Amino acid sequence: MITQTAPATPPTTVHPTPSIKRRRRKPNLHRTLSRVLIMLIVIVQVYPLAWLFLTSLRTEQDFATGDPFALPSSLTWENYTRAFETGDLGRNILNSFIVTMGANILIVLFGMMAAYAIQVLGFRMSRFVRGLFLIGIIVPVQIALVPLFIDYSTVNLLDTYQSMIIPLAGFALPMSVYLFSSFFEYIPRETYEAASLDGAGPYRIFGLITLPLSLNTVVTVVLVNSIFIWNDFIFANTFVLSEELKTIPLGLQNYIGAMGKVDWTATFAAVCVTVTPLLLVFLVLNKAMIQGLESGATKG
Amino acid sequence: MLPNRSRTSVLVFLLPPLLLYCAAVLFPILQSLFLSFFSWNGISDMEFVGLENYVRMLTADDIFWRSFFNALIYLAICLVLQLGGALVVASLLTSLRRGRELIKTLYLLPAVISTVAIAFLFVRVYSIDPVGLLNQVLHWIGLGSFERAWLSDVSTVLAAVSAPEGWRFTGLYMLIIYAALIAVPKELEEAAVLDGASKWTLFTKIRFPYIRPVWITTTIMATTYGLRGFDIPYLMTNGGPGQSSELLTTYMYKTAFTSTDFGYASTISVFIVIECLVAVGLILFMLKRKADS
Repeated sequence: MITQTAPATPPTTVHPTPSIKRRRRKPNLHRTLSRVLIMLIVIVQVYPLAWLFLTSLRTEQDFATGDPFALPSSLTWENYTRAFETGDLGRNILNSFIVTMGANILIVLFGMMAAYAIQVLGFRMSRFVRGLFLIGIIVPVQIALVPLFIDYSTVNLLDTYQSMIIPLAGFALPMSVYLFSSFFEYIPRETYEAASLDGAGPYRIFGLITLPLSLNTVVTVVLVNSIFIWNDFIFANTFVLSEELKTIPLGLQNYIGAMGKVDWTATFAAVCVTVTPLLLVFLVLNKAMIQGLESGATKG
Repeated sequence: MLPNRSRTSVLVFLLPPLLLYCAAVLFPILQSLFLSFFSWNGISDMEFVGLENYVRMLTADDIFWRSFFNALIYLAICLVLQLGGALVVASLLTSLRRGRELIKTLYLLPAVISTVAIAFLFVRVYSIDPVGLLNQVLHWIGLGSFERAWLSDVSTVLAAVSAPEGWRFTGLYMLIIYAALIAVPKELEEAAVLDGASKWTLFTKIRFPYIRPVWITTTIMATTYGLRGFDIPYLMTNGGPGQSSELLTTYMYKTAFTSTDFGYASTISVFIVIECLVAVGLILFMLKRKADS
């Protein structure tokens, strides 16, 4: 995972002036210091997660009595067995998957369509519509909870997949519109004009030119949104009540037993299980995801 | 603009997304504004009360003000951890030669974990019996007197619920700032070094002004996210003990779904929206003006 793209300090071998030579030593000390500091910060950042994983392999007595930093005295998979007995992890993962897929389809398709209308087709009020979408980026999601709760109960949407998918997609839409339209800017006008001369209408151009060209942006949008949707707690917690529809974040709460007593080692095992799908995707595609995050915000 | 587009084609592409967006975002905002002038528990008839909710919120509700100031402290802690931490790590990272990708990946890991899992994790980090990670570290470095049950101590609980939120997203902001830092033209930096600029001058005079637009974006992102922070405090302490870690968002949520006072809850959410808009306006005003001077 060593980068080739990040520009290292350019080779200054061409007639190094004395002043540069003198400075060469200082950066070395500086670099060692930075390296130590960065290692420390990364350890603080990552250790809690490693600890979480280790704890899921500990025996219960070991966890209750031992030094939290000690390595487990013996490894056990028993916590995982108990985790699967206590909760319906498979169900939760499936639900999270359905919600994430559903919301992502809406976000990508609608985001692309709106961006196409605003950026490529163009119309008189396009600046106004763009401004409308900006509101959704600034406004906190909590504003929608009470109104949506009331609206859902009048149209019988409470406790459904849609009740989670609609607001998740709605609040993610502005960013998606924004990313797609900044990508569409780079598609040369001539491509469209040529296609128009050949008699292609706006629908064919969308399907044959715009859509295939934006696959990279689709990957970015899906990855970034999946993190937030997979882990969404607030909408699920507000709109979903029945066990069968609970997504992962809600399912994890089931591990808090009566009287707030928690079976910690089993809970951590459950956390490890539920984190795995997203973590795998993240580790496999992290380059695309990191690029997406970087480009998404720096263009703003 | 495409030459042979028609009005219908614009509508076909624009209407579905706009409808979803209106249903999920725009309409609920207006509905909240509307509800904030009513007293309603969801069952009985709605009663128009005019500005009464606002008057009650601003003049007679101590919990509201407590939550408001807590939310500001929460925001400050998040901003320092996220933006300060991000800037430091991103700057350090540019001086590394190898392993940048690995560090970026590791640093971003917490962002992938759900808030419920993070809440569980940090309950254990802060715990005293059995000894949690934080207390154990304090014990080792000889600060044993600071050991405490961080989440039940009213003087530490707010900081304790803010830190995980900062920890969680600092990697995200680090990536963005790092991408901006490596885009600073090398010639500029080299010229400054040749002129004898120190590391610090290099940073304040060359690098930071160059990344200012990105800094504004990240500050706005971090601020609006900080102001909508909810999950971690709600899950870890539910605002307690007492109101010592209550934020506006958790207070609003409880008003709506525990006390089912929909009208008053809407008043609080209108306030949160205004607060976000004011914050964004302030950031743009301050950072832009500095750039001009």
